Amino acid sequence: MSRKAFSRLVLGVTAVCVLAPAALLLVWSVTGRWPWPRLTPETYSLRTLRELLLGSGGFLPLLGSSIALAGATAALATAVALLTARATAFYSFPGRGLARFCGILPLLVPGTVLAMGLHLAFLRLGLADTVVGVLLVHLVSALPYCIAILTDVTAAVGLALEEQAAVLGAPPLTAFRGATLPRLAPGILSSMSMAFTISYSQYFSTLLIGGGRVRTLALVLVPYIQSGDRPLAAAYAAVFTGSALLVFALFEWAIRRMERRGAL
Amino acid sequence: MGNWKRILTLLLVLAATLALAACGGAGEGDAGDALDPADASWEEILAAAEGTTVTFYGWGGDENRNNWLNTAVADYVKEEYDITLEVVGMNIEDILAKLSGEKEAGTQAGSIDMIWINGENFYSAKENGLLYGPFTQRLPNMEAYIDLEDPETRSDFCMPIDGYEAPYAKAQLVLYRDSAVTPEAPASAQELLDFCRQYPGRVTYPAPPDFTGSAFVRNIIYELCGWEQFQDMEADYDTVKAAIEPALTYLRDLNPSLWNEGRTFPDASTTVDAMFADGELLLSVSYAPFTVATGIDQGLYADTTETFVFDNGTIGNTNYMAIAFNAPNMAGAMVVINAILSAQMQLSQYETLRELPVVDSAKLSGEEQAAFDAVDLGQGVLTQAELLSRRLPEMPADLVPVIEEIWLNEVVGKYNG
Repeated sequence: MSRKAFSRLVLGVTAVCVLAPAALLLVWSVTGRWPWPRLTPETYSLRTLRELLLGSGGFLPLLGSSIALAGATAALATAVALLTARATAFYSFPGRGLARFCGILPLLVPGTVLAMGLHLAFLRLGLADTVVGVLLVHLVSALPYCIAILTDVTAAVGLALEEQAAVLGAPPLTAFRGATLPRLAPGILSSMSMAFTISYSQYFSTLLIGGGRVRTLALVLVPYIQSGDRPLAAAYAAVFTGSALLVFALFEWAIRRMERRGAL
Repeated sequence: MGNWKRILTLLLVLAATLALAACGGAGEGDAGDALDPADASWEEILAAAEGTTVTFYGWGGDENRNNWLNTAVADYVKEEYDITLEVVGMNIEDILAKLSGEKEAGTQAGSIDMIWINGENFYSAKENGLLYGPFTQRLPNMEAYIDLEDPETRSDFCMPIDGYEAPYAKAQLVLYRDSAVTPEAPASAQELLDFCRQYPGRVTYPAPPDFTGSAFVRNIIYELCGWEQFQDMEADYDTVKAAIEPALTYLRDLNPSLWNEGRTFPDASTTVDAMFADGELLLSVSYAPFTVATGIDQGLYADTTETFVFDNGTIGNTNYMAIAFNAPNMAGAMVVINAILSAQMQLSQYETLRELPVVDSAKLSGEEQAAFDAVDLGQGVLTQAELLSRRLPEMPADLVPVIEEIWLNEVVGKYNG
């Protein structure tokens, strides 16, 4: 088998492993009864669609606010991570090692503990039960990944081209936008997607910091999984996955455009 | 759930130490209402509640209940009292964790008004000062519709309520099977054993501390050891173990015929329900007495599914509504709780959600009683009268974790002889 055929095979198997369960979600979301040992459902039902679209849950605003929250987290986390990455990659200052370590610290503390500690702090700061509080806790959860991704990319791209532009007289910001940013694009895409996914799927921290007042898709989805309403849980999960994929496609499109144009 | 709660408590302590433990917050805001609900008259409470928002926190995994609260109850309190009801789905462990956090931080005006609660959780919340009360004596509908002498109004899992929670709905353990697949309905522990032996590997029950699984084990204990002796039993491991020895022997007898030969048990009643719906199991247990009718309506269960209970009865309990210690809108919470206690809302709950109502039929008018009697409960269920005539009281809350521990040590994967 040629190398190309082999890599195609691996790709195909991986795609099936990922897509088949996802396709099953679609089937489950319109399933009525599916008793063992039938290969296909015995009855189908549109109950979940009715519930999603006409139920009292306010589904569309929920979807919109979840995407907005995760999108904001992605943009902020990537901006902060990019600055952090540049600082630790290109400048040497006392405590650089410590700064790097602090960047990954939220990964080392279990998520539940992190959320509970932040909850106490946020209660005192008046940030509990607010969207800003939830955004901040999502940001803390996403940053370690974004910093890790962008530090590698920033170091790989290096400063050489930017310095070249500066030598030719470009002001610092222009040099960065014109020379470095387009080459960072793939890293920025990964970082944004990563942060989006992390924020989108946060359950416990959103629940605790948002106090149930800040509602996201994950917050509504999880109780249905726990209560064993499989068709409804599948319907929510399908929407959850589908909407995340759409946003990724949007990110991808924007980043490719940025790469092509050579600047933002 | 018990373990999870313990872990949460531990984590909370840990988090408290890690977080800005040193900076003691003086608390934010004022106590909420200018009005002190403890001395206000009902008219003053109604006036204070008008135009406000009330948040109701409780388990959010029941789509029908969410819809009912968001429509029937929300519309009713909006129309009658101009109150906006905001329903927030949250597991009780998380609600209590949030309240403990707020207590720790000294938050005077929190975000939770009403809480859906009962049993062990009520006991620990009340002990830890997370609830406001006593308040139920102030609600006109307590007197008007509820039997104040009913043991389930006075105590919750044998723990005195002392006015800290008002009844919401009644639950009762029921069993169900598809009568087209298994015509026989085991009416006692002995018949259940025969049933399991007839269909080896097709029956199991949720592993305690799952709420339903734990109640099922207690029900087996009642079958073999009677229920009276437990009402005032001390929560001591050896005392309880000696008292329930016949039930432990029985459960070990059951093991070889159970699903996976009793080496493992499903983690939650929802898993057992799903396995039953899939036809993997022939019998399931539920704490929602009319669950079969709902399941048939939703197309999850076959039309021939039927509910049954043991001849000697099954455990029933009530779930309740409480008010958070730092509720920002205590007056509003009282008004909404009072509204849910009304015959109209209880009837609506009975009709829409098929939950056993908490109203005392002796206190209902002829018309109201007729409306309750006219409710069509759907297929495959027992009537309210049949259920209530076979209703056994819960055990004291502090025995529950002890029995769960004994079950884990003496039953799982253990066999007699």
